[in-house]
Amino acid sequence: MAPQFLKVIGAVCVVLVLAAIPARSQEDVATKEELEEVEGALEGLLESSAEYRGYVDALRKIKISGYLQPQYRNAVVMDQAYPIGSFSGGLFPQYTKSMFQVRRGRLKVTYDNITTQMVLQVDVTERGVGIKDAYLWISDPWVRMFALKMGVFDRPFGYEVAFSSSARESPERARVTQTLFPGERELGAQLTFAPQLGPLSFLKADLAVVNGTGPTATEFDNYKDIIARASAIFPLEDAGAEIDVGVSGYFGAVRRTTKQLYSMGTTSTGVPGWVADRDTVSLGAGIDRQYFGTDMQVYYDMPLLGGTILRGEYVFGKQPGGATISISYALPPTGGMYQRDFNGWYVYLVQNVGTSFQVLAKYDIYDPNTEVEAGDFVQGSGLTYADLQYSTLGLGLLYHFDENVKFILYNEFVRNEKVPSTSPSSLAAYRDDVRDDVLTFRIQYRFP
Amino acid sequence: MRSILLIILAALAVVMSVTAQDKITVKGSDTMVILAQRWAEKYMAAHPDAVIQVTGGGSGTGISALINGTTDICNASRPMKPSERDKLKQRYGSPGVEIKAARDGLAVYVNEASPVTELSIEQIRGVYTGRITNWKELGGPDQRIIVYGRENNSGTYVYFKDFVLEGADYAASMQSMPGTSAVVNAVAKDRAGIGYGGAAYGKGIREVKVKAEAGGTGYAPTLENIRSGNYPVTRFLYMYVKNRPTGALKEYIDWILGDEGQKIVNEVGYFPIR
Repeated sequence: MAPQFLKVIGAVCVVLVLAAIPARSQEDVATKEELEEVEGALEGLLESSAEYRGYVDALRKIKISGYLQPQYRNAVVMDQAYPIGSFSGGLFPQYTKSMFQVRRGRLKVTYDNITTQMVLQVDVTERGVGIKDAYLWISDPWVRMFALKMGVFDRPFGYEVAFSSSARESPERARVTQTLFPGERELGAQLTFAPQLGPLSFLKADLAVVNGTGPTATEFDNYKDIIARASAIFPLEDAGAEIDVGVSGYFGAVRRTTKQLYSMGTTSTGVPGWVADRDTVSLGAGIDRQYFGTDMQVYYDMPLLGGTILRGEYVFGKQPGGATISISYALPPTGGMYQRDFNGWYVYLVQNVGTSFQVLAKYDIYDPNTEVEAGDFVQGSGLTYADLQYSTLGLGLLYHFDENVKFILYNEFVRNEKVPSTSPSSLAAYRDDVRDDVLTFRIQYRFP
Repeated sequence: MRSILLIILAALAVVMSVTAQDKITVKGSDTMVILAQRWAEKYMAAHPDAVIQVTGGGSGTGISALINGTTDICNASRPMKPSERDKLKQRYGSPGVEIKAARDGLAVYVNEASPVTELSIEQIRGVYTGRITNWKELGGPDQRIIVYGRENNSGTYVYFKDFVLEGADYAASMQSMPGTSAVVNAVAKDRAGIGYGGAAYGKGIREVKVKAEAGGTGYAPTLENIRSGNYPVTRFLYMYVKNRPTGALKEYIDWILGDEGQKIVNEVGYFPIR
């Protein structure tokens, strides 16, 4: 943009200079005064050009980027007693099993002053306008290894959380990621260690202190959560491959706001299930929110075919939640609080075919309550939909039309844990696999 | 509905694949653009079927083009940054292939009329960070130094910042020029000017000798001094491709790295890698 602008200015300058020279016949000779006049005009134009260059240099610091993801989704059935599509791009409303929507409409403005940055990103869809990023970034000018970020930014946990939706092959993140880190972002401050040069340049480490309430909620307890991640890159140049690995930890708490704090045990009916702790003295205490994770990405340049990506992540820990929901709190807890031990993982296999096509297979599992089996969902256990294990197989085809446009056709085959016939009536639908597969056809436009 | 969507997508893909052109595009470093053009001209003369299109724009621009798929080869006068490698990996599933194609001595230019013939790295850093502002501090006349440099999408800009300024910011007074030839032209017309760029552009202005240490010996950016490691500001010139090259692309790259391609490196004023 800027070089073209300067070329235009240059062209205008040349035209103006030529116009300033009076037309004369071949035998006319320019006088000294006339030449000085032209030189003066040229100097004036060069000064103007320098002034414009100043404006252009200032404008170059402002970078605008964005992407739009209109899509069509189709579910197998509608109006069931169970939610459809919650983790596949959003819940299908009543009377609906197909819909067009703008999944994401992002506009990002960065003011980049090389060693400092300010970033604002908004999400504009038919559901409204929301904030995605709003942070400042300062790199250290001394050893050039550290950077500070503060505001609303991606949580530095694992790989998939911060992996941009515009670059990700699957339309949505894995169920475990969506559950633990809804909205992906957090309000807080982050210190990054990332040497750009030298023997340690294969390492990166992040340490963040955040509210723990998500990207849009105001802090509602006084507990600050700590997120840490360390990652390393191991290039295998001779093999045309690279292995990246990372480990992450999340150390947080949610304020206990209720007498009803439940943990797994043996219920009064003698079955495994939720047991209440009625210790009122601990009201206001922190309920653990702790995750540990490890992730790995393998890249291999497959001869004649194209790059192969194998990426996976495993997370386990403790997650406080409600009776029927285990998604991280974005509002102060109301009603009973349930402390679940969970685990989850995902694996992507992406095969590039040439430079335009990608074939994707993705599999993920989220077990929100590792202390129960399918057979435990019986009367008196207190177990709910939020304790069911889910697995999702996604198969997709991607076509990169040009540098801006990408087509994605992706089908999710969602499978739930099947509860026994003795389960409560509220779980009757889950005695078999519920019909909640979703097909997504998306076109993405991204710039620059 | 699903079948229809699949058919539409497949048909679209086939149409687009058929319309794709079979030529090699090269984009990136302005420092390397003359070299890349010479390579392309000579190669196409010897291989009439080959079509090679070369454009500049800067290393950063070339790397972006490689990532978004609008060039086959990216020329870069600096190594790829980790963030750029990440984008390449995410898009193509390949860490990319880095090819060292030539060596370059990054020259520091002054106007031919300037009495200053030698500078230390520390002095150059002082000039470009704004600590030294008058030529008399460098043994020249009592005259304000006019500092010329490159725009921030240039690999030369990044290399100079990383290795000469040791990461410090350029002085705000530096005038950013769109190419090394523009820097040379500016310094050639400005007696108080100083600039930097590839040695290949050094015609018509004077390249100062550069000393690694203040009390050391100054060396000019000549082949001998760069090969021997005496000249302190040297760098590799790179080519990047998305995947391990095959077919026509591999033949072209092999030719560049071979005797003929490296001979052109010498002719243009850079230094062969072998």
